[in-house]
Amino acid sequence: MANVSEPVHAGAAPGADHGHDHAHPSFLQHHFDTPAQQFNASKLGMWVFIVTEILMFGGLFCAYAIWRALDPDVFDQAHHFLDKIMGASNTIVLLFSSLTAALAVRSAQLGKKNQTSAYLIVTILCACAFLVIKFFEYRHKIELGLLPGHCFGHPWFSGSIQKGETIGTCLRVHADQAPGNPTWLKAIDQSGHVQLLPPRANMFFGLYFVMTGLHGLHVIIGMSVLAWVLVKNIRGQFSPEYFTPVDLGALYWHLVDLVWIYLFPLLYLVGKPE
Amino acid sequence: MGTEHSHAADADDGRVHSHVASAQFYWGIFGALVVFTILTVKVSYYDFGPANIIIAMLVATMKAGLVATFFMHLRHDKLFNTLAFLSAFLFLAIFILLTYDDLGNRARLDPTYGGTVGLRSGEAAPGGLPATSATVDMTSEEGPPGGAEKPKKE
Repeated sequence: MANVSEPVHAGAAPGADHGHDHAHPSFLQHHFDTPAQQFNASKLGMWVFIVTEILMFGGLFCAYAIWRALDPDVFDQAHHFLDKIMGASNTIVLLFSSLTAALAVRSAQLGKKNQTSAYLIVTILCACAFLVIKFFEYRHKIELGLLPGHCFGHPWFSGSIQKGETIGTCLRVHADQAPGNPTWLKAIDQSGHVQLLPPRANMFFGLYFVMTGLHGLHVIIGMSVLAWVLVKNIRGQFSPEYFTPVDLGALYWHLVDLVWIYLFPLLYLVGKPE
Repeated sequence: MGTEHSHAADADDGRVHSHVASAQFYWGIFGALVVFTILTVKVSYYDFGPANIIIAMLVATMKAGLVATFFMHLRHDKLFNTLAFLSAFLFLAIFILLTYDDLGNRARLDPTYGGTVGLRSGEAAPGGLPATSATVDMTSEEGPPGGAEKPKKE
């Protein structure tokens, strides 16, 4: 876009939707007067969307706050089954991807097309790395039967077991033989301590899976958005005058990072150390 | 912090004038975020009692502040976008605090129970929590260490 239009004055040509008397850059939509107006409107729209996203996660944060207040001891006990080091590694991976997303926007602002592509690719690769680490964490929980709701204590990947039978590091303990009596779980946590988890520990793992699951869904959506931005960038659709999709895609990615910044300590860190 | 502008900043010519920070500056922010992450993990190995969650949330908020201010460009963005963003946390606070207050106090409104129905045994309070596995377990007598506690008397 070497030739951006002359300054356009708001209201200069009311109703003149097609009969422009000025050069209109191709990226400027008809209902905007200037590129700056279009840019600012897009940004505000994105921020409002980010607010709705925070409020959607807010429901889960509220559930977490209430259930933790109701049952602090079991939350404390259950959170020792999460691997702090894996969680911290994922935090660093996401923070780094946020850095490369910010650098991608910077390159786009300066019109460095290839550099923008490179940074976007690194960001997407970091997102993949995050999901791979998350996969190993999920597999560990599922193998131990640390699952939400009625699935708590269910040996999905360990075959069928009898009451009280040891499966790997996990033991199902029934307080009573009565049908429908909930299962206690005896398992070894991340510090090597044997923990006896009461059935209601399923609330912690329910919140864990739903919160990180919704976040993981956002990671996948963010990756897709960045991949779409990458394609547009390779096609040469951006310039220092028009890089809005890069900017907004990166904003979405930073939101994913922001949510994780709170999820990580709430799920992995708070509680008494062993 | 070396910063540059892609255009003359003062011109109101309808073009997009975005602030361009230097790459080193972004790397510096990333470094600070990593330091905060290591700090919050290290601190989690010590027990500060009820302050654990406060410390963790303070560090998380500082990290979130860095990301929002610099990576998300709020520092050089329109102030209105910052206000929109912060409004999310205002409504989140209203949501969580009022829900918490409701759960903690609803039993007190019932003269039958005279405020003796605690948060933990909510199933006894009219309009309290439904009897889930969680609330039922909490009232049970037996239980392994770290498990069920009897409802507190207030």
